[in-house]
Amino acid sequence: MGPPMFLQAIEDTGFSTWLRESESPFAFYFILLFHTFGLALLVGANAVVDLRLLGVARSIPLAPLKRLFRIMWIGFATNALTGILLVFAYPTKTLTNYDFYAKLTIIGFAVWVMQKQKKQVFDDASLNEPDMMARGASLAKWSLVLWFSAITAGRLLAYTYKYLTYPS
Amino acid sequence: MNFAHLHLLLNHFPIIGTIVGLGLLLISLIGKNEDLRRASLIIFPAMALLAIIAFFSGVGAQGAIKKAPGVSEALIERHQGAAMLAMLFMEATGAFSIAALWRAQARPRPAGWNSSLSAVLVFSIVTVGLMARVGTTGGDIRHPEIGSGHEQEELAERSTISKAIHVFEPSPGRVAELMTTSKWWWAFMMDMHFVGLALLIGAVGILDLRMLGFAKQIPIRSVHGLLPWAMLGFGINLVTGVLAFTGMDQYYTYDWAFWLKMLAIMLLGLNAAAFYLTNAFQSVAELGPGDEAPPLAKFIAATSLFLWFAVITLGRYIQSFADTVSVHK
Repeated sequence: MGPPMFLQAIEDTGFSTWLRESESPFAFYFILLFHTFGLALLVGANAVVDLRLLGVARSIPLAPLKRLFRIMWIGFATNALTGILLVFAYPTKTLTNYDFYAKLTIIGFAVWVMQKQKKQVFDDASLNEPDMMARGASLAKWSLVLWFSAITAGRLLAYTYKYLTYPS
Repeated sequence: MNFAHLHLLLNHFPIIGTIVGLGLLLISLIGKNEDLRRASLIIFPAMALLAIIAFFSGVGAQGAIKKAPGVSEALIERHQGAAMLAMLFMEATGAFSIAALWRAQARPRPAGWNSSLSAVLVFSIVTVGLMARVGTTGGDIRHPEIGSGHEQEELAERSTISKAIHVFEPSPGRVAELMTTSKWWWAFMMDMHFVGLALLIGAVGILDLRMLGFAKQIPIRSVHGLLPWAMLGFGINLVTGVLAFTGMDQYYTYDWAFWLKMLAIMLLGLNAAAFYLTNAFQSVAELGPGDEAPPLAKFIAATSLFLWFAVITLGRYIQSFADTVSVHK
């Protein structure tokens, strides 16, 4: 039994074929590029908040770092959109790979931790800095571990797939 | 211009530069001159950056002369092995120099001796010696006035020092094989390259954005404190990048995106120099919450952001090959 038929149907659409096969620099690798930009914004900004909560560069005032959450969301939105397009380009390759579901699960947890950080640490104006750090420290550790795992799972997609396109 | 030109243009800098850097460091130690010491600590990382490009350009230079009569493959290999070992010490010298510069700016006080400086001294002395050998072995490849390739091959084995150092030099072919035998090792290197990227962009990005006026309540000097983490990210990417290059050197050498990426990284070196060596850093270091950075600092910050995103873009277009084709042996 091969992969489900609908994967082939997606793959055969003009848009999917164009994304995958076009030699234009604005096709597949352009989307992959923006997926990397999104990664840099989302993980880069969250890592800065995590490191600060763990005591790195303590002279940075914590409260204004709340503005970084907006950058994280811009990164997340970029990657949700480009991610959908990447799946559209290689539906069989992606959706038949367990690693892809692992990646989505990890990202789900990472974004959940990110929101908890914002709500519990940054939205509560009554907290002073030591309290913010005490509340945020274990979330920050989880955040770093989860984003590291998400990058790893994403990177492994290039090396673990069973089918590149629908088997003929 | 071909790669042989580029290689000849670049390869003298790290050799002469480390000698100049070491000379300045020694004079500064004897004369207790802080300015000279700082100059030497700036020269080493600059040479470390140029050494990488010189190393990368060697593969193309080899391609350009390999088939010429009288050129010995064995001599080229010996030169490449010598270059790998010298580069290792050169990069370490550059890293310790940056650590020493960082200490000096974080806690300004009269010139004192510290472990970073000792490390710079020891590593730069070894680097000068190894670089001299890189130059000699390189010259042996194609300088008819020194002797024919085969005479040089014989001569190369005669000196005891040469033999002793050769024991520590990696074999380029063996290194390439190690990098590409396992798909998982390659995947791990690429993974770490992305992790380094996130760390680097996060830390540099917030400093640049603050200088451009984002989250002005944060004093600039405090976000500047994140830079060791940016350097950690850069270090991870330098190591994984050089290892990846040695694994698939033919592929990277003949890729225009790769060379533009290297150019962008060199320009970032100049960008950092512009930040610290003009009054830009001084002009922002003492700014408090709400203060606006002066135009020069803003320009440097904008250039840095642009160039880092250019580096990602160009790097992404190199990978267009390696991602979909499994690593070949």
